[in-house]
Amino acid sequence: MERNDRKKGSVPYEFKTWRDFPPMNVSLGTMLHNRTGSWRFIKPIYEDKIPSCQAGCPAGNDIEAWTKLIQRGEYERAYWYLKREEPFPAILGRVCFRFCERTCNRDTLDQQVGIRALERFVGDQVPLSTPYPELPSYHGKSLGVVGSGPAGMSAAYFARLLGFQVTVFEAMPVLGGMLRVGIPAYRLPRSIVDEEFVGLKNMGIALEPNTAVGRDISLDECAHRFDYLFLAPGMHRSRSLGISGERGTTVISGLDLLKKIALGEDLQLGRKVVVVGGGNTALDAARSALRLGSTVTIVYRRTEGDMPAHAEEIAEAREEGVRFRFLAAPECIEENPNGGDASLVCCTVEQGKPDESGRRRPVKREGELFGVKADTIVTAIGEEAFFDPCAEILKKNNGVLRVDQELRVDALGIATGRIFAGGDIIGAPHTVVHGIAAGKRAAIAVDCHRKGVPFSEIIRRITIGEGPGISFSAYKGWEPLNAVSRNLKSVVRPEQVVYDYFERAPGIQSGGISAAERRKNFSPYEETLTAVQAEKEAARCMHCGRCTECDNCLILCPDVSVLVKGEGTFGYVFDYDYCKGCGICFTECPRHAISLVDEETPIGSV
Amino acid sequence: MAPHRQEIKEAVPVRQVIKGNIAVSHGVRLSRVKVISAYPITPQTTIVEELSEMCATGVLDAKFIKVESEHSALAAVVGSETAGVRSFTATSGQGLLLMHEVLHWAAGARLPIVLTNVNRAVAPGWNIWADQTDSASQRDTGWIQIYCESNQEVLDSVIMGYRLAEEVLLPVMVIYDAFFLSHTSEVVDIPEVSEVDAYLPPFEPEYRLDVRDPRMFGGMMSPDYYYEGRYVMHRSSRDVLHVYPRMCREFQERFERNYDLCERYRTEDADLIIMTAGTISSVCRIAVDRAREAGKRVGLVKLRLFRPVPDAHWRDALGSAARVAVIDRNLSAGLGGVFASEVKNALFPLTKRPAVYSVIAGLGGRDVTPQDVTGIIDQVLGADDPGETPIFWGLRE
Repeated sequence: MERNDRKKGSVPYEFKTWRDFPPMNVSLGTMLHNRTGSWRFIKPIYEDKIPSCQAGCPAGNDIEAWTKLIQRGEYERAYWYLKREEPFPAILGRVCFRFCERTCNRDTLDQQVGIRALERFVGDQVPLSTPYPELPSYHGKSLGVVGSGPAGMSAAYFARLLGFQVTVFEAMPVLGGMLRVGIPAYRLPRSIVDEEFVGLKNMGIALEPNTAVGRDISLDECAHRFDYLFLAPGMHRSRSLGISGERGTTVISGLDLLKKIALGEDLQLGRKVVVVGGGNTALDAARSALRLGSTVTIVYRRTEGDMPAHAEEIAEAREEGVRFRFLAAPECIEENPNGGDASLVCCTVEQGKPDESGRRRPVKREGELFGVKADTIVTAIGEEAFFDPCAEILKKNNGVLRVDQELRVDALGIATGRIFAGGDIIGAPHTVVHGIAAGKRAAIAVDCHRKGVPFSEIIRRITIGEGPGISFSAYKGWEPLNAVSRNLKSVVRPEQVVYDYFERAPGIQSGGISAAERRKNFSPYEETLTAVQAEKEAARCMHCGRCTECDNCLILCPDVSVLVKGEGTFGYVFDYDYCKGCGICFTECPRHAISLVDEETPIGSV
Repeated sequence: MAPHRQEIKEAVPVRQVIKGNIAVSHGVRLSRVKVISAYPITPQTTIVEELSEMCATGVLDAKFIKVESEHSALAAVVGSETAGVRSFTATSGQGLLLMHEVLHWAAGARLPIVLTNVNRAVAPGWNIWADQTDSASQRDTGWIQIYCESNQEVLDSVIMGYRLAEEVLLPVMVIYDAFFLSHTSEVVDIPEVSEVDAYLPPFEPEYRLDVRDPRMFGGMMSPDYYYEGRYVMHRSSRDVLHVYPRMCREFQERFERNYDLCERYRTEDADLIIMTAGTISSVCRIAVDRAREAGKRVGLVKLRLFRPVPDAHWRDALGSAARVAVIDRNLSAGLGGVFASEVKNALFPLTKRPAVYSVIAGLGGRDVTPQDVTGIIDQVLGADDPGETPIFWGLRE
């Protein structure tokens, strides 16, 4: 943007008589030769940063950018932009535990932005079978993925985007791992999972269900067939209660129950179900049993506050009629010799000193026993790994596969350095989004190996804030939505947001169905936001650390040294000839999208 | 919403019975003002309330800037007007006084702001009622000053004010009495927007704040140049005396209402002409009629334009009478009535000039009735000589 420089060719203006005067006290010459920028010792720069939501997301989802696209009404573009960092918005938009919302800076003002609902909205905009547009050509290296759960799916997706030929092996007849046979259909419809795989197939990823590595094909053979392997078999075996009577006819594990329902297999479920456990599997199993017509009681040895299950799951379960019995530790299962109800004998428990998880240890009150009648007992006290090819290593390592800094499995004795692992099997938190993050990280690790570049350096460069999220866009060198330099390490804290510039607005709630209606079947009950609702909720995003061209800096700069870049180009430019470094733009930027740097710092060095 | 506000949104009834403050807001709306910044003060507050409501409901497409004082209100408007945007503010009494520094600035910077001032007494004592000392004491600031007698005149003067201001590049103060006009309902004809658009074109200043064409506004002027700058301003003010009658004629052609810069009422053969401004003029018309019925030859000149001083017009209107009684609803301590002082000034060049009787009445909102004016007429007619002291009408002695 150019200023009218009257200095060019101008002569000093002479006022000989009053007739030469302009009608008002206004300069007719110019002072542009006085470059007040020389007064500066600190200087503002436009620097986009990381909003707290993206920093909180284990997968490093670039939430702010696609939210901006929703606001602009560019839904399809939002979908593909979201998929740069997180491949399955239709899924995560339904099941994610929303780590992002917990860190949302808007919470300080009124209420966090409904990010998961927005992601779901975006996920529902484009047919899931649509392959990623403009796929790169294959470079000739191949990747075999063991396990088609979130980590495997994610690794396959990102590896394809990095030019690998990918094949995914899945032991079960259906694809998706816990997405397909764990999470109940009322939360995640099966068709969505199936469609995502059609999309992956349309990207050129080969899918081999009904193929268990270790049983149908050896790990050795895989290692020969592929340049690289990524092991993500998950943890899908239930831990046993370790009490007598556990092998009885009335006992089934939570995971098995969920899998049978998912696969449509024959299921003998009683009318009175007791579920032992407090995690999400227990809740999923309980709410599923309820929908099959049983009365359900969850028995847990700690208190409600200690339950690992998500608070919203617990609340919805309670609304639907699941009963809870806390501070009860199972002792043994007594079958009824005459047939009919068995009894789960429990011991009353009190809370002792905190254990390594920080929760108070359950201490049995010996002798204080009571029985809970049930015709089916469901055990859901945790998962453990079951992967034959690594059985020895798992046993030696507490049921977890150990990997080095580059995500490679050591001590396998074959294909040294070419076998990677991730997800639940290496001890990651058991959530879908952590699985997605694991797949992304593994794909990059494999690619670094292929290119011969040091993974740890790459990871250092592309880690968002202090992690664990990483930016695939940064790895690929893709330009962000705002054409402004971006600092991946600087995360915007609430103190850096100027809340005075934002008006309170309540969060948008999508319509709900009553608990009584919900428990009747496995139909999904949460609705996707309408376009109007989505745009309204997206408008609540404050875009922490990302310029929105709000003009605040331009309006408030006392030296008129913030200039609009011009037609079609995003953002502003500082006129450093005149900027005195007063810092008003920095202080008044509502979203901390400006940084103040020492005058010596050359722009672009961060 | 109150009924009359709803009406504004849908269709404005042409004739309404409204208070002076509401008439102002109609004038502002019709003038398509874009920026308003005002601080509330009795009895101006309803202007601010009315305008902010109009902005909020979209009836008026303007930005309303909330400020913490009158000084800031006028300063904000100085800023927006310098940026080339038609702007408005309103105040009264103490508020006008608080703006004093910025009043000088607005005129010196040649900004065509229109400010409506509700004439309110100056404190201390704390008095919210009609008194002209507030605006009279600002006569040296360079603002064009127009005094109004009716709510209709107030509305019309806002529109004319912008037309005048933007042509000569000087701010215009439209002045009217506290409570007698601000809070009293009268019949007002509200013009059509399209008619006003035809009379008042958009504001297109030659110089304005523009980041693409940066200039210095209001910079230093050394002894070498300041004098001429001020002279230019004075000349523009005097130009009003040519420009005003032309605009007035145009206004009359379009809206069929006439506002001479000093209106004459039954002065042709008058022995005594009363001169006054504001609502006292209405009272005087009644007293003049009664005096005429009683056989006294009395007339009235209503003072409308006060700045620039229309000296030639005043000489013309008053010169033929033997006596002139100037009623001031103001008092400049140590001087006397402000209007009287200025009238004497204007009449001085006449070789044969009327005797000027200065009358102070109605200070602090004290009512001036037709009986009062009749009394004044009688007293003036009965006194051979004005003497050196004004007639302090109604003073408790």
